[in-house]
Amino acid sequence: MAANQAHNAGMWVFPRAEEVSGDMAAKSRAMPRPMVAAITVSAILLVLGIIGFVARAVDDGFTDHAPWGYYAAIFSFLLMVTGAAPLVALVFRFTKSHWRRPLSRVSELFALVGILNLLMFIPLMFVLPAINNPGAGEEAMELRRTIWFEVPIGAPHWWDALGVGFLAVLGLAILWLASVPDLAEARLTSGGMRRKFYSLMAGHWFGTKRQWEMQKAGLAVLGAFYFMFLIWVHFIISTDYGQSLIPGWKDSIFPVLYSLTGLQASLGLILIIMFIMRRWGGYQEYIGISLFWSASKILLGLSMLWVYHVFSFMITYWYGRLEVEQDILKYLFTQSYGGMFAANFFFSFVMPFFLLLWNPVRKTAWGPALAGVAVLIGALLFNLRIFVGAFNAGDVYQHALNGVPPAVWPDIWDIFMVVGGLGAAALIYLTGTRIFPLISVWEIKEGAMYQRMGTFIRGEYLILAKPE
Amino acid sequence: MARRPILGLFQDANYAAEAGDALKRAGVDQGDFDFLTDAPYPEGAFGERHERHRLYVFPFLGALVGLTVGIMLTSMTQMAYPLVQGGKPILSLPPMAVITYESTMLSAIIFTIIGIMFESRLPKLKKGLYDTRITEGYIGVLVNTEEEKLSEVSAILSQAGAVDVVRENQDTARA
Repeated sequence: MAANQAHNAGMWVFPRAEEVSGDMAAKSRAMPRPMVAAITVSAILLVLGIIGFVARAVDDGFTDHAPWGYYAAIFSFLLMVTGAAPLVALVFRFTKSHWRRPLSRVSELFALVGILNLLMFIPLMFVLPAINNPGAGEEAMELRRTIWFEVPIGAPHWWDALGVGFLAVLGLAILWLASVPDLAEARLTSGGMRRKFYSLMAGHWFGTKRQWEMQKAGLAVLGAFYFMFLIWVHFIISTDYGQSLIPGWKDSIFPVLYSLTGLQASLGLILIIMFIMRRWGGYQEYIGISLFWSASKILLGLSMLWVYHVFSFMITYWYGRLEVEQDILKYLFTQSYGGMFAANFFFSFVMPFFLLLWNPVRKTAWGPALAGVAVLIGALLFNLRIFVGAFNAGDVYQHALNGVPPAVWPDIWDIFMVVGGLGAAALIYLTGTRIFPLISVWEIKEGAMYQRMGTFIRGEYLILAKPE
Repeated sequence: MARRPILGLFQDANYAAEAGDALKRAGVDQGDFDFLTDAPYPEGAFGERHERHRLYVFPFLGALVGLTVGIMLTSMTQMAYPLVQGGKPILSLPPMAVITYESTMLSAIIFTIIGIMFESRLPKLKKGLYDTRITEGYIGVLVNTEEEKLSEVSAILSQAGAVDVVRENQDTARA
């Protein structure tokens, strides 16, 4: 038994169900110094972002889309990562995985950043070039290439805005439904404004059988919708703000690659947060290594899917050999943004692949988290490369790229906007952790009913119950 | 006849299930008592009745409304401004599909959220009987019964192993 115990050290944890509520309430109310420091730094970055945004608006206005490439890139990065993050909890709840229980709330809390995504999208509605070409002539098209065909009412601006807005609403509905049992508990243990807020949010939740069943069914239906809608929003944003702005870029793989990069980066980000919580946040008794081990296999799979889609994208254009296809490859992959693509490739595939391939690294908490850092950097580079490239590709009403445009590097306001976007997202998320318990209390308690260690011959093993 | 709630608190889930059986034997309707827990127990763990709900109707209804609106919006727009583009028919499905998909999803989402609120009975103004010990893992058996039967129900709950029986006017922590 001893050998087996050593093999599984730290792999599974068994929190005491009766102590979870009190412990989580105390953790939510506490304001440790690292948290204060993180909130302060995020707020400073947000201020820098606002300065950068105002300066860019004063310098360049909203008539030309080209100066807003870096803004679009950071918006897309946040939408891609934070939009996909709640899906991680939903998918693993669908599959009834026990190891996912500690990450559910960490993942669903990203729904709060959906509000920021919607706010950040508003300026992009103004800078997107009109579909109808105001100066159509013999050389240029009457309508630029778009998925909106005959340009129905409000397209693309309002339909895109509705998509981003409803994704936020849907995410918030899922966060509320998944956390309502915990909020109902919190209203009993808190006072003042917190109590009022929790009472308002929890409504008439008392944990009756009907309410638990409704919550389960509701999360299943909303989860399915979230997946369907997230892919849709990724499709319209990546197409309208990426692909359709590069003349001659017609590619069915790109929206898929975009969604895939989002799923990969969001899982990576969640693993980083789980590692920080476990290592420094006092959540070691809730987060076992099994979570990192299990999630790392999925991250490895997503990294391999990522490289497959990049290869498919490249080989189609390389084999096509039309001038415009060669120019797009040179623009986004080999010349203008060649260095950035190499870095993107390294961080999104090479580093996570070789890290996670190695079993001793995969079975640690830091290994998958380090791979998470890599894929997150990779996703940021992906968005910078694609969206800065798309916003600076020249006349959008032309049939094809006019040569290979040069890369556009950031000025000080671009840097401010990029770090400001990251700071704003972090600030919203960190503030959210002071309101919602970072661990889904009811799911941990439920898990405690179904998991325990048992002995089989000489070894000690985890016994899991599957009630359905 | 006035009906009052009474709450039995059980430390052991088995005793709570036995209380449910005893209430059924005593002729208490299954719709008049419920099990309050701090985590979702497997279906039928307490021998309780199967809860029926109509949540799945809401997304279908919403999707139908959104689909209809989407089709009407796209087809009527194209009929009102019949411009032939690239030799394609006036009413062609691919351009309609883009708008129709989004309107279907939006409507289905709104209806589902409304359905969850309605079916969970969450926006209820009158607060029920509760005890904070349920958040510590105790099982609550909440019975709604006639005023004169309260003592009988209280005895049933106590005999089944309730560590405490709470009534409305008792000075107990409530939500």
